[in-house]
Amino acid sequence: MSGLLSVRDLRVRYPLRGGQVDVVHGVSLDVQRGRTLAIVGESGSGKTTLALALCGLVPLAAGQVRFGGGELARDRSGRLMPDRRRLALMFQDAVGSLSPRMTVRKILAEPRRIHPAGPVDADQEALRLLSLVGLGDEIADRFPHQLSGGQARRVGLARALALSPDLLIADEPTAGLDVSIQGEVLNLLARVQSETGLGILVITHNLNVVRHVADDMAIMYLGRFIEQGDSGRIFSAPRHPYTAALLSASPSPDPDARRDRIQLSGEVPSLRHRPTGCEFHTRCPRARTLCAETFPGPTQDTGARVFHCHYPMG
Amino acid sequence: MSAPVLEIRDLTVSYQTGQGRLPALRDVSLVIPEGRIVGVVGESGCGKSTLISAIIRLLAPNARVDAGTIRFKGRDLLALPAQEMRSLRGGQVSVVFQDPMTSLNPVLTIGRQMADVQHRSAAGRSAKDQRSQRMLERVGIPDPEAQLRRYPHQLSGGMRQRVAIAMALMAEPALLIADEPTTALDATLEVQVIHRLQELQRDIGCSVLFISHHLGVIAELCDSVIVMYAGEVVECGATRDVFRDARHPYTQRLLACDPGAIAVRTRELPVIPGSLPDLARLPRGCVFRERCAERIARCDTERPRLAGLDHRAACHLVDRAS
Repeated sequence: MSGLLSVRDLRVRYPLRGGQVDVVHGVSLDVQRGRTLAIVGESGSGKTTLALALCGLVPLAAGQVRFGGGELARDRSGRLMPDRRRLALMFQDAVGSLSPRMTVRKILAEPRRIHPAGPVDADQEALRLLSLVGLGDEIADRFPHQLSGGQARRVGLARALALSPDLLIADEPTAGLDVSIQGEVLNLLARVQSETGLGILVITHNLNVVRHVADDMAIMYLGRFIEQGDSGRIFSAPRHPYTAALLSASPSPDPDARRDRIQLSGEVPSLRHRPTGCEFHTRCPRARTLCAETFPGPTQDTGARVFHCHYPMG
Repeated sequence: MSAPVLEIRDLTVSYQTGQGRLPALRDVSLVIPEGRIVGVVGESGCGKSTLISAIIRLLAPNARVDAGTIRFKGRDLLALPAQEMRSLRGGQVSVVFQDPMTSLNPVLTIGRQMADVQHRSAAGRSAKDQRSQRMLERVGIPDPEAQLRRYPHQLSGGMRQRVAIAMALMAEPALLIADEPTTALDATLEVQVIHRLQELQRDIGCSVLFISHHLGVIAELCDSVIVMYAGEVVECGATRDVFRDARHPYTQRLLACDPGAIAVRTRELPVIPGSLPDLARLPRGCVFRERCAERIARCDTERPRLAGLDHRAACHLVDRAS
């Protein structure tokens, strides 16, 4: 499939005293124009590292990445060199990612200062971007500390959209926001996507959000995708026991909701001591001897879904 | 029935700022009976944190209690001498904070920190370590003896938060205040921590004041719930009643906004239009009226009081119906 972004067998390795750890362990994914891929997983599963690698902020140990038709080159240290005008990042820490000494107007003008793109009135452009994300002109002269959490997210999104990118990588775009404001930010992303055909890669651990915003999803555990495919299918019938556990763990606001949870035992293993075989076998309720011995190869489901499990659900 | 562990009546707290006095809490009342888990739910700026600070008397220097009482087992906390208040904190009343990475000291081992919280005990270090180990075991931490020698950064987020809970429960408090203790955790760990907290609460028999903006967590854990908006209690009652039959328009909207509650996949998530009122220029009448779809003339002029018996809501519409 000719995707906007196509990643094959990507690995990221961090050096460690006395060795190294594979933080991203052979990941493949595709993002299409106008579609959203969600990457889900617990803290430390490698989600943010994957995003940073795609933006060229940490070096790759292995893998091929195609973006907008061509294979991306790497610099001498192994970092990808995507065209920064076409790929934008919305950072997890919304307020921290905005310079505290710049007004919103200056923050929004900065991308065009770095990548000059024709004669555009910087002031007009800042106001256009603000209205694109549903903020009024009065925000332009404020400093980041004068913004609420939701406003800071919107400014971060406006800055990401300043150069009309093809792909947006959003790292936990709604973490820490109240439910009513979370809806506003997500609705905004959906609107911008339908207007511009933006491809979105969203990283989150909030499954309730994924269900509503993502076309496709990938579930990450210790640096690997253990299940990926159409999000509707995965939600209705997960095949990997870890996916099933994650889906059943989401606390429901309905006091009468059935609580038939899949309880996981044990701790998340450390990357330094990656379990043998299937990495999930130490916590898996379905694990048998085979699971501790060999890592299960990919199984292709009917439809576009791939999972790695010797004894899948359903 | 015995006296409640915590009883707050008409608590009003304000902050002195450059723009004048900001009333952060207005006439807040709540009761935590013995052995119960009471949840406080509300969005940023509703006064949750001010409420906790007021209870443990660690309000910011520019804050002032303008009115009201806070009684802990019948004693008036606001009138307690500072010395007695200090001995209460970390003893009879303890707190688990939101972020275990910042509430634990990064340069001290877990063992040292757990021994430190037992500073009132005359026991020696090895006896304290024994107690720490038993407590770590109770919160489900594997190999507790080895953990005592480790530093917070060597533990995962879920383990750190369980260590923080173990520390808060060391003194077997009568009241545990938990300030968004699962917000920094992932879904599977969140559920693990909640269940652990539930078990320990049953074992120890303490009461819990559980603060969260996560509706699902509150529904799962709490016996009763208090919904706050812009510094006021807008609804309270048994968790089941409030979540099943929300009466205040704000509670109704909040529940409707939770993407977990929307069964059918949608690209257009519900929101609550508008924003919190400016506390420096509070409108007359109902605090929620500017965002309320059901407002009537009376909402503009008269502030609604909590009405009802066990399940109460501060709304003129409810008042009129009953």
